[in-house]
Amino acid sequence: MIRSLLLAASLLVAAPTVAQVRPPLVLAAASLQESMNAAAAAWAKAGHPRPVISFAASSALARQVEAGGDADLFVSADQEWMDALAAKRLIVPASRVTFLGNRLVVIAAKDNPVTIPVRPPAALAKVLTAGPLAMADSPVPAGRYAEAALRALGVWQAVAPKVVRGDSVRAALTLVERGAAPLGIVYATDAKASQTVRIAGVFPAASHPAITYPVARLATSRNPEAEAFRRFLISAPGKAIFVRYGFTAR
Amino acid sequence: MLSAEEWTIVALSLKVGGVALAAMLPLAFALAWVLARAHFPGKLLLDAIVHLPLVVPPVVTGWALLLAFGPNGPIGGVLERWFGISVLFRWTGAAIAAGIMALPLMVRAMRLSIEAVDRRLESAARTLGAGPGRVFWSLTLPLSLPGVLAGAVLGFARSIGEFGATITFVSNVPGQTQTLPLAIYSALQQPGAEATVWRLSAMSVALSLVALVASEMLTRRVRRGLHVL
Repeated sequence: MIRSLLLAASLLVAAPTVAQVRPPLVLAAASLQESMNAAAAAWAKAGHPRPVISFAASSALARQVEAGGDADLFVSADQEWMDALAAKRLIVPASRVTFLGNRLVVIAAKDNPVTIPVRPPAALAKVLTAGPLAMADSPVPAGRYAEAALRALGVWQAVAPKVVRGDSVRAALTLVERGAAPLGIVYATDAKASQTVRIAGVFPAASHPAITYPVARLATSRNPEAEAFRRFLISAPGKAIFVRYGFTAR
Repeated sequence: MLSAEEWTIVALSLKVGGVALAAMLPLAFALAWVLARAHFPGKLLLDAIVHLPLVVPPVVTGWALLLAFGPNGPIGGVLERWFGISVLFRWTGAAIAAGIMALPLMVRAMRLSIEAVDRRLESAARTLGAGPGRVFWSLTLPLSLPGVLAGAVLGFARSIGEFGATITFVSNVPGQTQTLPLAIYSALQQPGAEATVWRLSAMSVALSLVALVASEMLTRRVRRGLHVL
């Protein structure tokens, strides 16, 4: 008992010295998981220390930065949370670059031959209301964007009663993968990540707010490797990795 | 069976759970003793505060910890300025979250067993000349040991299962704060990672089972030992 307490105490004391040699810590939106891991692997392969990446909701990550967390880079799934950190001077303004974009799509199971007519509204509503329509919860950006797109296309009133919500966009994807809903609205990147669904239709870019991903260095970051990795992310070869996962380069 | 990366996750979970348990055990026992034995104004309030992490949403506990232990917070500020320690994004922070979440379960089990100790035995020992320290070490503690052990193991199991407070407080950093539940959550976000989810889930079920069986066996052994007394 006493020995384990002493051990715990010594580990606590040892923590800061270990911390000084750590590789850059990147806080990244959960939707970037596969692509950011691929980018980190490519960066490590080029002889750099592999960045450590924490994937969680952009909101949770931003709050950890606000509380004083000493991470190096923040990659947000929307501009709102980056704006919030910028307003509190927690990022280096000149380092902020919007480097990726995404599209909103309608997905169906691979063996479902349905095609989605964007117009007229009556035809679109008929297809979308054939069964439950999976999408992300409304506080989640993907849910907000989907609702905005359906409103812009004039079908929200008709479709709303058929909507089933997942707590994240990946939960909406799972509903379609598991056959709980024939159709779902997710990002193009989610559709691409899944082996069992296909893109049945793409929403016109003008039908919803632009879906963009900014990266910035945090004001407290002192790690030169972090800046180098940020430059890699926004370079053409860096963005090419993300394009493979369904993002659009910006 | 598990990849090297997955073993790291298991080892980290054990470290976080073990340290959380070691650090919280004396506090949990002290709180359990005070709640079982002492009478003072505000006892109900203390009881309620101790139990809060059991009933408020874990995400609220995580957020409160973030505010308190962040370098800009009251506790985190002191740690940072005086000791140069930051717990955000570190396994130490994960252990704090796990320990706080486990505390009420530990206190509950320990309090029940302290309350179950026959106080007439203690009075008898006192009349036979034993001091309060002797009574505690040779009577109260051994008699309440089954509950203390059960509470400790329950707390450990709760620690390695902690999710909501951890991801809100110290994020999801591989090798530092990505314990089993967070790794399972991350794998669930990836289509096609079901195999990983299965392996990690099986591991966490196995760990919990081992902990629960160990607690049961310890409790029985202690009980048998006491009957011999």
